[in-house]
Amino acid sequence: MVGAWEYMVRRPDMLVEWTLQHLWIILISNGIAMVLAVALGIWITGKGREHIADIVLYLAEIIMTIPSLAMFGFLMPLFASLGLKSFGFGVAVVALILYGLLPVLRNTHTAIREVDPAMIEAGRGMGMSELQILTRVKLPLATPVIMAGLRNAVVINIGIAAIAAMIGAGGLGVPIFRGIRNLRMDLIILGAIGVTILAWVADALLGLVERWVTPEGLKRARQR
Amino acid sequence: MIKLEEVAKVYPDGTEAVKGISFEIQNGEFCVLLGPSGCGKTTTMKMINRLIPITSGKILVDGTDNTKLDVNDLRRGIGYAIQEIGLFPHMTVSENITTVPRLLRWAKGKCRQRAIELLELVGLTPADNFLDKYPAELSGGQRQRVGVARSLGADPPVLLMDEPFGAIDPITRERLQDEFLRIQGEIKKTIAFVTHDINEAIKMGDRIVLIRAGKLVQYDTPAELLSRPKDDFVRDFVGADRALKSLRLMRVKEVMRASPPTVSLEEGLSSVRKQMESVGLKWLMAVDDERFMGWVSWEDLGKGEKVRDIVIPPATTATPNTPLNQALSLMLNSAIGNLGVVDDEERLLGVLTFDCIRNVIVEFQSEGEER
Repeated sequence: MVGAWEYMVRRPDMLVEWTLQHLWIILISNGIAMVLAVALGIWITGKGREHIADIVLYLAEIIMTIPSLAMFGFLMPLFASLGLKSFGFGVAVVALILYGLLPVLRNTHTAIREVDPAMIEAGRGMGMSELQILTRVKLPLATPVIMAGLRNAVVINIGIAAIAAMIGAGGLGVPIFRGIRNLRMDLIILGAIGVTILAWVADALLGLVERWVTPEGLKRARQR
Repeated sequence: MIKLEEVAKVYPDGTEAVKGISFEIQNGEFCVLLGPSGCGKTTTMKMINRLIPITSGKILVDGTDNTKLDVNDLRRGIGYAIQEIGLFPHMTVSENITTVPRLLRWAKGKCRQRAIELLELVGLTPADNFLDKYPAELSGGQRQRVGVARSLGADPPVLLMDEPFGAIDPITRERLQDEFLRIQGEIKKTIAFVTHDINEAIKMGDRIVLIRAGKLVQYDTPAELLSRPKDDFVRDFVGADRALKSLRLMRVKEVMRASPPTVSLEEGLSSVRKQMESVGLKWLMAVDDERFMGWVSWEDLGKGEKVRDIVIPPATTATPNTPLNQALSLMLNSAIGNLGVVDDEERLLGVLTFDCIRNVIVEFQSEGEER
């Protein structure tokens, strides 16, 4: 503990650099995953796509069960065979996009499907187009649940991103792996605490965002 | 006007929900689609705004085949009200009410103005207290009023209402029904109203379409339905026996309207027209020295100069002691649908309208339910 503190005081620049690298990976991968998952989530909720939805959600769940080390192991040769750089940032981002899909995808799917059919019929009966029903009724009502999925995905990925340091992607995993190799407990603790704090702060901030994007009418309904 | 011609609905699995129904709803008429649950009444209504596609037959809305219009344009031109759960919880009262006007891209100020007007119409005043509230902050009855206001958003000539007062406690429901009848008296929409509640149907409807197993059994006024049910199903479903029994126990004088609106035979028709407008009726009773001479109807006002020229002599009259069940059948033979009440010397004492009888029946039947 004391060692970790001393290291941080001695080399604050390193800590800032690892943290920023870590955040950057998360931002890119979860950003892309969010867009893909919401789009895919909306699409699989469409009429007559129930079977596709089952398959897509099943695949996303399988992805979640692949250990992250194995995932990097699968992706590296794949990148190499495509002529891409087979280690570092790119591989890490693709892996984290895959991990970031399921929570958002599942929540989008569930939230949209759970919108009261009476409300959708009211919209349709008043002459809303399918797109208007989506943007004016389904999505606003689904937003809090979709955001909860994003929050979940980010927290999971902050943990997984620490392991991406092993394939040279940088981030707060760097001091952890360096500590393991050199038996430096202070570095391990520094990285671990950094990851924990980052996850905690991200969770709290996204919690605020979640509340902020929740339609006012739903908040008042909850207060009752 | 809404006209259904041999309308049928067959689902892909072969279920015949509606088996060739034809009827017409005249402009300004309140038509109730009544029947046991699963009889096809809601399906029939939803084919009017194409929420359910029609299998065969034709539906004309104001003379236009409803499949010829763009489906969203069609729906924006037809008011649609469902139970209070259909309000959008994430939108304010004002946003809910102006859903259709906003789809039609009305200007913001006009939308707000319309929302205020409609809130006042449905009795949510002062409107400022409600405009920016959310559905969660309203009581069930208030939400239902917003639902009605929303269906009137862009002032459509035609309204479809799917058990709009279904999910509400009986006392509030009664009050909403009364208020809606008052509103309908002002706005005179052409209405198709679905319910399985016979009391509601008798109370609200100008005419009732009784549906059973996808077929139209009887299409008549509530009075006809009660006093001349076509078959045993109708008799049982509308509780005609019980209703008529209840009427047998009462006499005309207990429910008649004393001091009806009258005119003298020499009155000029232009002043008669004004008088009708001021009392909001399509008829008046002509008297000559207190004696009942007959009916003056709005439709005939252009056909002469004085009341004398157009008066329709009464086919029949009732006395204060006539039992109500007899009065009801006499009423059905009267040109105007009402019955003059006179004493032994033909002096006018009052008028019996179907509303008088309707109240007795509805009261009696709801008492029966409570027991």
